[in-house]
Amino acid sequence: MPYWESLKEHEVKVQKCSVCGTFRFVPKELCPNCQSMEVTWTTIAGTGEIYTFTIVRRAPTPAYQEEAPYTIVHVTMAEGFRMIATLKGTDVDSVAIGQQVKVAYDDVTPEWTLLTFAPA
Amino acid sequence: MTRKQRDAVIAGVYQTKQGDWSHATQDQVWWDSVRGACEDAGIELDEIDGLIGPAPDGAGIRVQLPGAPLGYDLLGKPLRFQASSSIGASAGASNINLAHYAVSTGLADVVVVATASGGVNEGYNSTDRDSAIAAMAKLSGPYEYVYGGTRVSDYATLAMRYFYEFGATSEQLAEVAVAQRHGATLHPLSFNGHRGEITVDDVMSSRMIADPLRLLDCCSINQGGGAYIVTTAERAKQSATKPAVALLGYGEGHSHIDPNAVPSLATFEAPRIAADTAFDQAGITRDDIDLTAIGDHFTINVLLGLEGSGFFKPGEAARFAGEGGLKIGGTLPTNTAGGFLSFSHAASCGLFSLIEVVDQLRGDAGDRQVAGARYGFVNGVGGAMQNNFAAILGKV
Repeated sequence: MPYWESLKEHEVKVQKCSVCGTFRFVPKELCPNCQSMEVTWTTIAGTGEIYTFTIVRRAPTPAYQEEAPYTIVHVTMAEGFRMIATLKGTDVDSVAIGQQVKVAYDDVTPEWTLLTFAPA
Repeated sequence: MTRKQRDAVIAGVYQTKQGDWSHATQDQVWWDSVRGACEDAGIELDEIDGLIGPAPDGAGIRVQLPGAPLGYDLLGKPLRFQASSSIGASAGASNINLAHYAVSTGLADVVVVATASGGVNEGYNSTDRDSAIAAMAKLSGPYEYVYGGTRVSDYATLAMRYFYEFGATSEQLAEVAVAQRHGATLHPLSFNGHRGEITVDDVMSSRMIADPLRLLDCCSINQGGGAYIVTTAERAKQSATKPAVALLGYGEGHSHIDPNAVPSLATFEAPRIAADTAFDQAGITRDDIDLTAIGDHFTINVLLGLEGSGFFKPGEAARFAGEGGLKIGGTLPTNTAGGFLSFSHAASCGLFSLIEVVDQLRGDAGDRQVAGARYGFVNGVGGAMQNNFAAILGKV
């Protein structure tokens, strides 16, 4: 699937509506703006601004608890849509709405790369 | 086609003690609740001919054909109508609409809505916190829970944005928990009331789960059951010992699945649509409402729900809560039995919040009674503000 394939290449491709140009994420079958099904998977700039965040202190499972506390951010990307991921490379207590971030890549396994954010 | 148009009322309600029902089976708790509601209405169990929501848990195709078990298998004759609304754990409350509709149009005469959680389970209905928390973490979606989010963190991101946009504080949120725990101490069936009152300091010093939400900002994890019976006003009158309560207005608003898709995570349009539809049907205004029940998975739900339903401008509910307005005795008593935070979060727990409004309107709320209560507003959500309903109940 193009999003996950692009991450392995250390790029981020998301759906851009072929009719009205609206970007969207998480992948969906229709453009929410014009309801077209036609898309071009387009590489994005990878920069954005924190829209909201939280710090997970009580994780869902023991495996995730080993990483806690960790920050989850919702980021308004340069193209005007939002993405959710973890924010790494900064102290959890220094995160704030409005901060500039950029995409980073976590090569979890040879087959699977996860998108994360880092301070810009 | 001519549809009937009969007056429908809530004729009976019942709730079990909320707590640990792992010694029972889910169907035992379900039928206990239904029998209790029938007794309250003065109606025989085998008069039930309609079901809104699911039947008790069972194996095989029971899940796919939820009305069928209440036919010959269990009630000894065909059931006439089954349907369900889909507003998450608030469906037990939002199902009041379909129950009213079925009776009003003559699709059924005696409709039951029930919910129950019991037995030893994994996941949502478990009394094992680790199991419940891990299951609930996957209620978001794979693009979210892969990052180790939980249901708490799903809501914490909303609270964080709300604080940012409106300057609201954790202390204001804490007042929601304080007010509701107080109500729970006055309800003998509540899950948390026996733990006693809490203060803002208690909430603020409880463990941080996902910033800014602390342990006492979160709903309980417990079991229990409840049910209500809807029938014609005429049938209710034959055997009722308590005043009848009716649904006066109803609306829904289905917002989003993906938090990235909704325009704002601090102000929500869908609950507004639900509430406006309900008030339009009822022909009353928000000023006429004497008390509310807001689906409260977390303290932040109450502020988002009240604002989303149009009772306050964005950001204003926080100040109102901070000043004690939501307490019993305040200007807009809310979740007066404790809500999901302190009364119960078992199964389709919206049902308990609706029953509290019914008790209040009947004058049956004991020490929690809101004097002269005539109109109650009930709201609930599915997911993290992903869908919403509004219902207005009134004494008839």
